[in-house]
Amino acid sequence: MIIKRLLIVAAALAYLGFLAVLGASYFIGLKQASTWPAHGQGQALADKDVPKVEKNVLQLEKRMTGLQPKGLYIVIDTAENRLTLKNGDQVVRTAVVSCGSGVVLEEPGGKKRSWVFDTPRGEFTVKSKITNPYWVKPDWAFIEEGEKIPKAMEDRIEGGTLGDYALGFGQGYFIHGTLYTRLLGRNVTHGCVRVGDEDLKYLFKAVPIGAKIYIY
Amino acid sequence: MKKTAAFAALVAAGLAGLGWAAGADKATLAKRQDALNAEYNLAKEAKFYFVLDIAGRTVELKVRSMVLKSWPIQAMKFWGQPDLAGTVELVKKTTLKAPERIVIKPGDTEVAPAPAAKAAPAGGAATTADYNLEALELRDMPKRFSLELDNGLHITVNAKTGGRLGLGSKMKAAWRWYVSLPLRNLFGPRQDKKPSELELVFGDEKDAQSVYWHLFDGIKGIVL
Repeated sequence: MIIKRLLIVAAALAYLGFLAVLGASYFIGLKQASTWPAHGQGQALADKDVPKVEKNVLQLEKRMTGLQPKGLYIVIDTAENRLTLKNGDQVVRTAVVSCGSGVVLEEPGGKKRSWVFDTPRGEFTVKSKITNPYWVKPDWAFIEEGEKIPKAMEDRIEGGTLGDYALGFGQGYFIHGTLYTRLLGRNVTHGCVRVGDEDLKYLFKAVPIGAKIYIY
Repeated sequence: MKKTAAFAALVAAGLAGLGWAAGADKATLAKRQDALNAEYNLAKEAKFYFVLDIAGRTVELKVRSMVLKSWPIQAMKFWGQPDLAGTVELVKKTTLKAPERIVIKPGDTEVAPAPAAKAAPAGGAATTADYNLEALELRDMPKRFSLELDNGLHITVNAKTGGRLGLGSKMKAAWRWYVSLPLRNLFGPRQDKKPSELELVFGDEKDAQSVYWHLFDGIKGIVL
C-alpha cells in the first residue's frame, strides 16, 4: 500500500518536474523569440557615422533603381500564365498566355534522350522579331506524335501554327501566337509562351529588340 | 519647489525620450544600410531572389530590385534566434506529397501517370479551366510545406483556407511547437545547432502554392 502511494507521488512529482522544465524551456524560447525581427541586423552607430551611413543608404537606393530595366520590358508569371508589358512601374498591357506544361517526354526504344517542357525562368532579351513565322519542328515534336524523325529539313517545316508574329528570346524559345486560344491561361506548351492574336500584335509592334523579358 | 522639480522631471523624461528615439532611428538606419547592402549584392546579378520581411509581413520575389510578386503573410510565429545577417539560401523544399511531373513515353501506355480529366459539370459544357490537363500547374502545388534555409532556419508554410488539419496532424504540430522545440532549444547539443523555426500562414491557399512554385531550391534571399 505504501509502495503504491510512493509510486503515485513519485509519478506526480516527475510529471510536475517535466511540466516545470517544459514551462521554463517555453519561457526561455519566448524570451529569445521576442527579439526576433530586430535580431541579427543593425549595429550600434556612433553619432559621427550617421551622415556617412545616410549618404551610403541614399547611394545604395540610387544604385538599386539603376539596376531596373530601361524602357519597355516584359514580365511573365509561369504559374498564373500572365504576361505584363511594363514601362518602369507602369503597366502598359496585360495578357493571358500559356506557358510550359512541365511534362517530361522520354524517347522510346532504349534511347536516353528526354525533354522537359518547362518555360525557362530568368532574365532574357528579345533577340529576334519574326513576321509570319514557321515552325522548324524539333525531334521531340515527331517523337511525341509517334512519328519517324525526318532527315530532310523541309519535312520539319510547318507554317501557321505559331500565329502571325514571334519574338525570340534565345535557345529556340519564342513568344508566339496559337491556334489553341481556349487553352490560354493553362500550362500546355513545350516551353514557348503562347499569346492571343491581339495581344501578340500589340507586343510585336511595341517591344523593340533588346527589350528585357523576366520569366518567373 | 515642487513645480520646479516636476518640470525638471518632465524635461528629463522628454530628453530621455528623444535620446531613445534618436537611438532607435540610428538602429533603423544601420539596419536599412545592412539590408540594402545585402539586397544590392543579390540584385546586381540577373537572378531572382526573395525578401522575407517579417516586420512588414510579406514575402516578395524580386529581380534587379523590382518586385515581381508579393505574398501577404496573414499570421506567423517564430522560435529560436537564427543568424539573419546577410543573404540566405533556400537549401530544400519538403512536403508530404511533392508534385510529380508527368512522364510521357510514346508507345508505352502504362508509364504516364496522367490524371484523368474531371467530368463535365452537370447541365453545361466544361470550360477549359475545369479540365485537369497533362501538365504540372499551380493547382498541383502543395498548400503545406517546409523551407530549409542555409542559416538553419526552418520555415513551415501553411494556408488558412487550405482545408482543415486532422486531429492527428494538429496534435503532432502542437507537440512539435510546444514540447519538442522548447526542450530541444534548452537541451540542444550545440549553440550553433539550436532550432530556429518560423511558421508562416497565408490567407489564400493559392498564395502558399505560388510560393512553392516560385521559390526554387538554391534561390537566395534576405530576411528582414
